[in-house]
Amino acid sequence: MKKRIKKRLFGKKVAIPAISAALLFSLAACSDSETSRSKSKDEKDSKNEIRIMTTAYTPDPPSDDSPVLKELEKFTNTNITMNWVLDSAYQDKLNITLASGDLPDVMMIPSKIPSFVSAVRDGAFWELGPYLKDYPNLSKANEITLQNSAIDGKTYGIYRARPLGRLGVTFRSDWLNNVGLETPKTIDDFYNVLKAFTHNDPDGNGKDDTYGMVVSKYNGPWDIMQIWFGAPNKWGEKNGKLEPDFMSDEYMNALKFFKKLYDEKLINEDFAVMDPQKWGDPLLNGQAGVIVDVLDRGRRADEDLKKADPSLKEPIDILGAVEGPKGLRSLPTAGYSGLLAIPKSSVKTEKELKQVLTFLDKVNEEESQKLAYNGIEGRHYEVKDGKLVLLTNNDQALINEFTDLNQFHMGIPEDRFIKPEMTPVREKEQVILKENEKIVVPNPAESFLSEVYAQKGQQLDNIINDARTKFIVGQIDEAGFKDAIKLWRSTGGDDYIKEINDLYKKTKK
Amino acid sequence: MDSLKVQSVETVDPGYNAAKNTANVEIKSDITKFQRLKRDKWLYLLLIPGLAYFIIFKYLPMWGIVIAFQDYSPFLGIFGSKWVGFENFIDFFKNPDFFRLLENTFILACLDLVFFFPAPIILALLLNELRLQAYKSVVQTFIYVPHFMSWVIIASITYIFFTTSGGVVNEIVSLIYGKEINFLSAPEWFRPLIMGQIIWKESGWGTVIFLAALASVDKEQYEAAIVDGAGRMRRLWHVTLPAVRSTIVVLLILRLGNFLDTGFQQIFLMSNSLNRSVADVFDTYVYFVGITQGAYSYSTAVGLFKGIVGVVLVLGANKLAKKMGQDGIF
Repeated sequence: MKKRIKKRLFGKKVAIPAISAALLFSLAACSDSETSRSKSKDEKDSKNEIRIMTTAYTPDPPSDDSPVLKELEKFTNTNITMNWVLDSAYQDKLNITLASGDLPDVMMIPSKIPSFVSAVRDGAFWELGPYLKDYPNLSKANEITLQNSAIDGKTYGIYRARPLGRLGVTFRSDWLNNVGLETPKTIDDFYNVLKAFTHNDPDGNGKDDTYGMVVSKYNGPWDIMQIWFGAPNKWGEKNGKLEPDFMSDEYMNALKFFKKLYDEKLINEDFAVMDPQKWGDPLLNGQAGVIVDVLDRGRRADEDLKKADPSLKEPIDILGAVEGPKGLRSLPTAGYSGLLAIPKSSVKTEKELKQVLTFLDKVNEEESQKLAYNGIEGRHYEVKDGKLVLLTNNDQALINEFTDLNQFHMGIPEDRFIKPEMTPVREKEQVILKENEKIVVPNPAESFLSEVYAQKGQQLDNIINDARTKFIVGQIDEAGFKDAIKLWRSTGGDDYIKEINDLYKKTKK
Repeated sequence: MDSLKVQSVETVDPGYNAAKNTANVEIKSDITKFQRLKRDKWLYLLLIPGLAYFIIFKYLPMWGIVIAFQDYSPFLGIFGSKWVGFENFIDFFKNPDFFRLLENTFILACLDLVFFFPAPIILALLLNELRLQAYKSVVQTFIYVPHFMSWVIIASITYIFFTTSGGVVNEIVSLIYGKEINFLSAPEWFRPLIMGQIIWKESGWGTVIFLAALASVDKEQYEAAIVDGAGRMRRLWHVTLPAVRSTIVVLLILRLGNFLDTGFQQIFLMSNSLNRSVADVFDTYVYFVGITQGAYSYSTAVGLFKGIVGVVLVLGANKLAKKMGQDGIF
């Protein structure tokens, strides 16, 4: 039929290419994954299908035929299709996926990034607030964390819980012994430790080959340390109004301290260009003695160092914070790391939504958490006398069967997997996590959403972060930093401040 | 059959052939357009798949450009999103970043033309002077290699060589000057590094096209020049260079089309918070705003601006080349 019409229109000789062009068109249409996927969804009615997009930290995350994933599928009665994206590329991939419109059923959103917020406002995601109460685990979600992770006061994603007081200092305790110093209590002590680690040959090899602290391109350590000096957590109150942290005097004091560290070569000179992925290397190589980051880094470094050199007794120690002019203060995390959001374009009906939520609720069960964090009993671990015994023997292929599966776990209401036997560092970590919670400095604007920030946040943050780095290495002085603040304000910062303060006033009433 | 051959060549480059072969003009006046169409129908038929390819894969996607004039949201689609006219462009031109981006992009583009563009030509001329064929092939093969490395690798190599903590170059520098230089983070070193990288990576590969042009130079012209007593430099200047001049002009015009393309990967990998003031260019800006912030409409507007500048430059340069008696590209 088609052919005949074509014939009449263009004549026989044009028909072949015309048809081939039409074929090309239809081929392009066929490749649309939407059509093929919805078909397979209908076919498998007995078992639910769920596609999850989340981060992977290993380049080799569990494949679809991983026995652990198979077990999890059995436990949740769901066919799981994982879409792993390496953490370093996650935000790019996420934005591209959001733009493409072909979304998975569950997608991990690392933070309230502008593209997600605008997608939420365009109605692209399910509001989960009203549903959570129907599920035994999800209903126990922490109110404050829900609030922190909310957009316009509503829940559009289930948070992945993380300890609030997770940040602190990791240092070489054997080096500290060698140079004859005590665990630092104040900022001055901290400075002295760095100085001794740089100049007093802490590793005792007779060579001047160590330095105090390693820092990378990543801004985290500066954020953590400036809190010690009394700088607010992103927004501080001054005369009843909120003001960004970098406008405070305490912030400047912290900056001057950082500059001193840099000038005296107590930190690595190339920090501004150092790839964050190589950040931990100097600590593990015995070049640097201190790293300021999440506390779990200490425990991991401890285990790695001992593995590399079994003669080391207790190479690593950790601490939460050192005392500054305002006493002990610690930078909190937001209490969560990322949200699991459910797009309306892939989960179309309320019935489907409930299926997904049932699945997510089940993921919080002990059984599922053990699979994700410990693996399969008898294959990856055993429990002997109530203690966890690993069977993986550092076999990477075996470990890769389950690592990163926890990247879509929420830990609501709590962690239920089997914890390994406590090393001293692990024990200390638990103590400090609790202690830090008492001294964390909350961000009063944490739950506010700013339009200006959604549009220009990246540029605004860049201006200040760049200026901070430039100040530390001496490219600009205090006046130069003030100029950067001026630039920040004229680029949209003033509108941002006004917006945040308007929101702040509303919550105060 | 013979006339058909001539004819098909003529459709490719009418001006060129018409000038060379007056017989052509006579043939052309003999038959009408329709007759030619009928006679060459099979050739036109062959053209269709190619045309279809360009229409489907190159021209249809261009409709995406309309989002530059919208407040685009992927969830509302092109038809659901709000139209905002030229607002995105106005925002961009008013942005304090605009002049910085323009300046950085422009400087890099100019440096590129001045330092990188001639590099393959010079290299090709040097290679051309090599007498021993075997040696020449070996050298040629070796200078191609860097082209096949990704920018990520080249950025890592640069880091290893130039870092202040134990980089080889800095070790040497500190031996001579007594202190290290922050090549990687000092803004004033950013552009030299970028130029150095691109010349190292691409100039060998760039010689391919010039060597091809040089190979077609008539040997007799050299012999004649030798008879006239021309030395090596003279031959280079009066025979070799004029022979490749049209190639150079064509490549220059094509290069201008990508004038504002500074290459995203290289710049992105080499930029950091200390040199961002000189490293921010349109390409990295489009990435930051479009991908990391999800401002699709705005970044499309920026990209479109870049594209328009490219088209204008190509048309301008082509016209200029023709005025100066060169062939141009169309």
